[in-house]
Amino acid sequence: MFRVWQLQVNQFLLPKEGAQVSECEDAIGVNAAAGRFAVADGATEAFDARSWARQLAHGWVATEPPLLTREAFGAWVAEQGSVLHDAWQGRVLSWYAEEKARRGSFAAFVGVQFELGNGTPRWTAIALGDSCLIQRRGTLVCRALPVADHQQFTSTPLLVPSLGGLQESTLAQARVESGAVESADVFWLLSDAAAEWFLRHAAEADGVLDRLDNLLATGQAEELASLFQRERRTRRIKDDDVAVVRIAVTGS
Amino acid sequence: MADALPGDAGIRKADFVADVVNHTLHDLVIRCTKTEEVRNYYFVSVIGYGRTVGSALTGLLADRASAPIAEIAEYPMRIETRLKRVPDGAGGIVEMPVRFPVWLYPVADGGTPMCQAFTRAKTILEQWLREHPRGFPPTVLHLTDGESGDGDPTTIAREIMSLATDDGQMLLFNCHVSSRRGPKIEYPATDWSLSDGFARTLYEMSSQLPDNFIAAAQQLGVAVEAGARGFVFNADPSSVVQFYEIGTSLTGMTPHIWMDA
Repeated sequence: MFRVWQLQVNQFLLPKEGAQVSECEDAIGVNAAAGRFAVADGATEAFDARSWARQLAHGWVATEPPLLTREAFGAWVAEQGSVLHDAWQGRVLSWYAEEKARRGSFAAFVGVQFELGNGTPRWTAIALGDSCLIQRRGTLVCRALPVADHQQFTSTPLLVPSLGGLQESTLAQARVESGAVESADVFWLLSDAAAEWFLRHAAEADGVLDRLDNLLATGQAEELASLFQRERRTRRIKDDDVAVVRIAVTGS
Repeated sequence: MADALPGDAGIRKADFVADVVNHTLHDLVIRCTKTEEVRNYYFVSVIGYGRTVGSALTGLLADRASAPIAEIAEYPMRIETRLKRVPDGAGGIVEMPVRFPVWLYPVADGGTPMCQAFTRAKTILEQWLREHPRGFPPTVLHLTDGESGDGDPTTIAREIMSLATDDGQMLLFNCHVSSRRGPKIEYPATDWSLSDGFARTLYEMSSQLPDNFIAAAQQLGVAVEAGARGFVFNADPSSVVQFYEIGTSLTGMTPHIWMDA
């Protein structure tokens, strides 16, 4: 039976406590027309991590054809890294900033492409690091990648490097996965702190994720910010930047 | 410290140690650098002892008992140009000139007034603890090439080890570097292998390595077991480098292997 598929997309970005939005190193890329979405999380201690995260997230969703293999993603990252490093040329830097720039920038990345046209509706994702794609059907988490368990998050994830010399070996470890889409599935793209928090609440089945879903679906940004601030105060979530993209799929 | 290192023809201990400490400060600054800003995650004191006991920092930092890392970054004694080996992008290695800051220069002069040095360290620590009672407990990395020349340092060392913040007790790690070629002992968990009385003294005044320091050591390929003390005896050059890397690894941060950089 022919179905018309629709995506409802909501996004939410919250910097660390006390930080400005302009300091947030998480970035969200949305290209709803192409069914392509991404989250990148710049490594706090890296040079110009905010720019690198934004370049990855915004650039990936805008690129045609979509970058859904390690090879295509790797070649694209190499170009983007050169663009970033070229942008630093000519800047007068202190000795320590110069050294930091020489080591390049780093970011976790996850991107997903939906194919809802002819044939069986599917998603394909590429991920490196600890920003995650989570597929939720009802209250069940049916897929999560590249980290599937809240206990598996570490302080030293693999990250997408801007420096060419580091890219080949690192990007070879990018995860590429795909799966089927069913009507009423909700997909989430989350940076690491939010993903760890999400997966723990999913394991505890305590209803918090339904509240998150409702607040984001209805665009209640202030309530959402309050929810995460409360969770930070009670240390149920790390005080880190938060990026959340909710993609609800419906077929009629 | 004026003697040569065992096995490294012509390199004075003082020159090597000063270079390691300069690299350590460099590494700490880089770890705290966020794009163009240095965040004050650490305070640093460097005490030198020999003919005199006092701050080994020079230039604008010379009179400071301790300095936040952002000031360490801003005020090196001088900035040298050194050659650094970097990938050329085509599978090879090229040398490129980089700016390298120097905060202290080597001094090898006088005896080993270890008790005076620890007393000076304790004064600085007590002041810092009054100002930062909730901070991460400080770590003291003590490097010596000989026995104390002004008495038994055990008591003052234990007084330092008993200092604490709300977050835990202070850590004191000791590294002994000898001019003689002898078997090195790294991070022992017991004193069974220590036949030397001075080695046992240093062992007794060394804190146990907390888990995150053990993890850092293991990441560097150093065999360390639970209960190990922060203590190295008869250290060779690579042990001295690792001692500083492990000792500054703090809270699970990845040590940066600068010698391979």
